[in-house]
Amino acid sequence: MTVRENVANGFRIVLDGHRRSSLLSRIGFYVATALTLLFSLYPFYVMFITSISTNESLYSRDRGVIPKSFTLEHYEVIFGSGSFPVQTYFWNSLSVALVTSVIALVVSILGAYSFTRLDYPGGTLIRRGIIVVYMLAAITLVIPLFQLLVRFDLVDTKTSLYITYTVKTLPLTLYILWNYFRSIPVEIEEAAFIDGYSRLETIARVIVPVSLPVLVAAFLFSFKIAWNEYLFASVFLQSEALYTLPIGIETLDSAFQNVWGEIMAASIITTLPIIVMFLYLEKYMVEGLTAGAVEG
Amino acid sequence: MAEQRRKPSESSSLSESSASGAVHVDGLTKQYDDVVAVSDLDLHVEPGELLVLLGPSGCGKTTTLRSIAGLEHVTDGTIHFDDEDVTRQAPQRRDVAMVFQSYALYPHKTVRGNLQFPLRKTDISGTEATERVEEIAELLEMETHLDTRPAQLSGGQRQRVAVGRALVRQPHLLCMDEPLSNLDAKLRVETRSELRQLQQRLGITTIYVTHDQEEAMSIADRIAVMNDGRIEQVGTPEDVYERPANEFVASFVGDPPMNFCDPDDVQAAGIETPQSAAGSPDTIGIRPEYIYPTDSRGEPAAGDRVEVDRPSDPVVLTVELIEPVGRAYEIQLTGHGLDLVARLRTRPDDVTEGDSSEFVFDLDRLTTFNDAGEVV
Repeated sequence: MTVRENVANGFRIVLDGHRRSSLLSRIGFYVATALTLLFSLYPFYVMFITSISTNESLYSRDRGVIPKSFTLEHYEVIFGSGSFPVQTYFWNSLSVALVTSVIALVVSILGAYSFTRLDYPGGTLIRRGIIVVYMLAAITLVIPLFQLLVRFDLVDTKTSLYITYTVKTLPLTLYILWNYFRSIPVEIEEAAFIDGYSRLETIARVIVPVSLPVLVAAFLFSFKIAWNEYLFASVFLQSEALYTLPIGIETLDSAFQNVWGEIMAASIITTLPIIVMFLYLEKYMVEGLTAGAVEG
Repeated sequence: MAEQRRKPSESSSLSESSASGAVHVDGLTKQYDDVVAVSDLDLHVEPGELLVLLGPSGCGKTTTLRSIAGLEHVTDGTIHFDDEDVTRQAPQRRDVAMVFQSYALYPHKTVRGNLQFPLRKTDISGTEATERVEEIAELLEMETHLDTRPAQLSGGQRQRVAVGRALVRQPHLLCMDEPLSNLDAKLRVETRSELRQLQQRLGITTIYVTHDQEEAMSIADRIAVMNDGRIEQVGTPEDVYERPANEFVASFVGDPPMNFCDPDDVQAAGIETPQSAAGSPDTIGIRPEYIYPTDSRGEPAAGDRVEVDRPSDPVVLTVELIEPVGRAYEIQLTGHGLDLVARLRTRPDDVTEGDSSEFVFDLDRLTTFNDAGEVV
């Protein structure tokens, strides 16, 4: 079942009153839904509308919710002029997000497996530590991480982002996979051992294929975090050639004045890949959430 | 499994019985923190034999099996396959196969993929592996399901795939951990005789764990009855049933279980109690099927069964309850301080609930136990 179907089902239950909801609770549901949609979708709406509005209508006093004229000039500026190297930013973001997600996934497969199946001294401490690290705000880590990067001479390199983004996404991917691996019956692994496969081979040939939907979800979360990251990139990078999209958008704001159309167009370009990726991978993710029902 | 219809051809790659396959377990002990799961256990399995580990839950039978398969590190003792010491060997190197209670099929692989998986770790070539998979699928009547995934199979079909995956490699030893407990009653009875035929035909040494004594009796060459981490008795199903080594075996094997009586009550009822050199027994046991009602002439009415060799004098007992259980009747009897269950194949004519009636015991079938619960 996709997310869309789930939502549709939710609506059907409320509208048809399958679960015998009272009028009051239905009204509550509508209000809550409307508010949620308003607060989550309206910014996207403003972003989109602003990116296609002419400058006159943007800065006029009586601009309505729906603009009177449309234009693609902001996109032309973004892509056409040399002042904003959107392609460089895009590739930087893509490479950082991909490398980070792949490293995070490989490390968290092995790490989550060890959490689930292996007993070793300090194991409990490490498991708890992961959760604690995930709770820490990124801003508290910036200075210590910066000091480390200076020590290793990695400031203003993409490697600094590969490392720090992995540090940032790893707790989440570890946690997702750990939770899932716990639901895999241990007998499946034992069967593979008895069939002659070593532990690493069993991970590769049994655990990974069985967990594929969850691995996709973990990959997506990790990719999203790295793709949208702003704070670390703004501190650790200095050369414009290394900038990722969020930093690029910021320079657009500081280098020029009153270019909201361009900023919003760049924001749309930044958001689209994540939305496309989510829509494409969504079916695997929802499968992953119910894949625990797989028969041992 | 379809044995009459499908004899394996001469060129069959699933060869029949091999000479090797013995398992020797000596002094096996497995301890988890403070709990001793298996204690100083000795067990010897002959090549080609099907040995059942039978016992109540928590008796250590599954731990014993898992230790033999290599899935548990043993605390003490040794395990030999033929002459090879495998005690410290990883399961990958032991050449055992296992059928798990939950089947443990690989959910992401088709039936074919599941059956092929163990063969990839052998030196069997691609074409031979394909042949073997097809042969085992045919043997298990799963050939039309080769491209199906486990989630689409019924419980019985999954069980077959699990058996097939275990047999395809022709292991030194086949371990089965309650393989039938997830099937419904009818399928369980059918499958167990199929398993037995298959095992005899392939001649693979098998250790089979179950808590179901009926299953054990019907499938085993020999039964090892376990209790509390120890083996109470090893013997053929007949041995274990007719000549139990102690009170535990006598009470665990048999449904309804053996009646246990105080010798004084038995004597008070006018039944001759067996004496032995070791002195008077502490407990006297008699199986429910060796208590008979008498007919009008005072003779044991044994129905269509064998003659009663040495009937006791008739004893008057009150019939508390007559309970039909499928093909037999269980009759609860009291009197003279005794509390007994008799099992009859036919409903006796002149015995009614609440009335007193005369019954005789087969004196040759009395079992006597000393105060340690061992048979005297």
